[in-house]
Amino acid sequence: MNRVAAIGSITLTLASALTLTACGGSGGAGVAANAKQTLTVWAMGTEGEKLGDVAKEYEKTHSNIDVKVTPVGWDVAHQKLVAAAAAGKLPDVVQMGSSYLGEFADMGVLEPVDTKTFHQGDFFPAAWQQGSYDGKTYSVPWYVDTRVLYYRTDLAKKAGIKAAPTTMAELQQDAEAYQSKAHTKWGMDLKPSGLDTVQSFYPFLYSDGGGILNAQGKPVIDSPQAVKALDYYGSFFKKGLIAKSEQPGYDVTKDFNTGNVPMFLGGPWMTGLIADNYPGLKGKWAVAPLPAGDKGSVSMAGGSSLAVSADSTHKAAASKFIQYLTGAKGQADWFKRTADLPANRAAWDSGTLATDAEMKIWRKQMETARTEPSAAKLTEITSKVDAAIGAVTQGSADAKTALTQAQNQIAGLTK
Amino acid sequence: MSLTTGPAASEAAPTKTPVAGKRSASRPGRGPVGRHNLHGWLFSTPFLVLFGVFMLFPIVATLVMSFTDFGARNVTRPLDARFVGLDNYTQLFQDDTFLKSLFNTGYFVVVGVPLTIVLGLLAALLLNNGIDRARTFFRIGFYAPVVTTIVAVAVVWRFVLDPSDGLIAGLASELGFHAPDFLGSSTWAMPSLIAMGVWRNLGTVMVLFIAGLQAIPNEVREAARLDGASGWQELRRITVPLLRPTLLYATVITTIGYLNVFEEPFVMTQGGPNNATLTVSLDMYQQGFNFFHMGYASAMAYVLFVIIMAVTVLQLRLMKDNTR
Repeated sequence: MNRVAAIGSITLTLASALTLTACGGSGGAGVAANAKQTLTVWAMGTEGEKLGDVAKEYEKTHSNIDVKVTPVGWDVAHQKLVAAAAAGKLPDVVQMGSSYLGEFADMGVLEPVDTKTFHQGDFFPAAWQQGSYDGKTYSVPWYVDTRVLYYRTDLAKKAGIKAAPTTMAELQQDAEAYQSKAHTKWGMDLKPSGLDTVQSFYPFLYSDGGGILNAQGKPVIDSPQAVKALDYYGSFFKKGLIAKSEQPGYDVTKDFNTGNVPMFLGGPWMTGLIADNYPGLKGKWAVAPLPAGDKGSVSMAGGSSLAVSADSTHKAAASKFIQYLTGAKGQADWFKRTADLPANRAAWDSGTLATDAEMKIWRKQMETARTEPSAAKLTEITSKVDAAIGAVTQGSADAKTALTQAQNQIAGLTK
Repeated sequence: MSLTTGPAASEAAPTKTPVAGKRSASRPGRGPVGRHNLHGWLFSTPFLVLFGVFMLFPIVATLVMSFTDFGARNVTRPLDARFVGLDNYTQLFQDDTFLKSLFNTGYFVVVGVPLTIVLGLLAALLLNNGIDRARTFFRIGFYAPVVTTIVAVAVVWRFVLDPSDGLIAGLASELGFHAPDFLGSSTWAMPSLIAMGVWRNLGTVMVLFIAGLQAIPNEVREAARLDGASGWQELRRITVPLLRPTLLYATVITTIGYLNVFEEPFVMTQGGPNNATLTVSLDMYQQGFNFFHMGYASAMAYVLFVIIMAVTVLQLRLMKDNTR
């Protein structure tokens, strides 16, 4: 009965939310941007902790505005947002994870973005796309992330690898070389199964020209390109180059440090993580662009955006604050504080972002990176692909069968 | 339990006692009885409110929800959820994932419950008769897993089961065997979780049995021994039959717990690999909280509820004490 009670308690929240929204549904006019007001902001994880400092800076130049930042842990973020949306108590400004947007836009709790204030061309294409749902834009890209190849240069020498792999075929050859010649435990690391395995698979899928949903939001996961990509993804496991199982919360940098895993596809935050936790590894590793598939080197785009809640009475001030955070200056400042990759391309034209060789790799990868179109049930859709990938890596189905099944399941989840 | 004093009590009492069989007789005296009841109701209000808000309402709401298509869209518009009759239920039994989770839960219960009961009884017998020294130490040892938080347990068990440098893998390689990748293989993942579940719940069952064993009068055992019963015969003919009520209670409680199994797969495997450890509760959690299919998840909850009910009733019937 435990579960019954748990699910029921959500119902309770929802029911009470109904009465609340019934009373408080006004929206409408709101307060002008230059009036005295308090702006509530929710941000997740590290961003939530660091945004408070930025808010203080902002208050200095905008004395009429009091910015109240509430950090929310990523692990509880989704549930908290759903509960707040139900209760009509979303903050004025809310950070949106890339996969959340469709769901909340569909609920009708987000205010569409004024495209006269925020320009699509200023941002990376994939980042902008993440804020769009059903032809409208609901959030402004804040920071982005993508995946590139991390590899151990010292072990590469031992394995006779002269340069980072540039094609997908080379990637596997190198993984084999690492394992057989440099005697690393595994050839590289990719997520075998479980929730969000798809993030590890996207670079392969996109580089071969596949995708889960097409521009019209219809599933295309059983395309020959997707089958080829998954077949290739699975071959790493079949050949024993990658561990078939992984603990929940697995941290690849630990094995990267010991040399058990000499290559992996990682996001921008990993650079700082490795530098901080394993100073001894300095000079023994490097990042390289994602190896190219049939359609070039196309990685996945992730990151977060900022949205204004539809019920907010401080929309004008909220928009101003987002303008500050997503403008070139604010973005460069944010990069210095967090090392999050700026979503605004203008921020990349000066400072370290423009000159650093490693940063150039990130930028180039981000320019071509792709993302799935926002869909109300995106989390559920990708979970079907997770299951298909799991079936292939565990050897219980071939890529074609697994993806055909996923295609059928996803067809029922799209409009 | 009469909570009232004074005239109310003395008035109420005579109206009730003589006509215990006829309820309607107490109706005419509504005033005083009403007041009498009022006190009772007042005293039970804190409980009733808590029970109503946190138990009764959710249970009823879940039942209603299980007949609707309540989903993420309805979060802001709860009343837009459509009634779909038994659709959720019929869909459930065509859902391969759910059927798989049903099978997995069955697997966990069918293997786990007997193991827990037998090992729990064994531990209780040893601690009750066999081991004299350090008895408290062993009792604490067996009971510690019960009170340890699952997160800590998960850390330890992951180390034990780790395929490369775990405890079992290490021992096996010392002995020249090759240990399987316990949590990573579809075959071994479930047995590993069962082992962990048994280990975690052994303590509770053991404590119950120890209490049961100490309630068995020594005279009976003595008589049996005088009649020349061997140790095994004493166990089979005396101890186990006399432990029957405890045995029944322990079995029912363990079965209910295992049918609801959630924590072990949640922290260890997230239902993987390939849904090999996806249990009904975990499936329900994912449907409800990851995908927000509240209607569907509610239907699942009720299917599980009915199964638990049926199994419990069956157990109570089968293990009823027929000797009396």
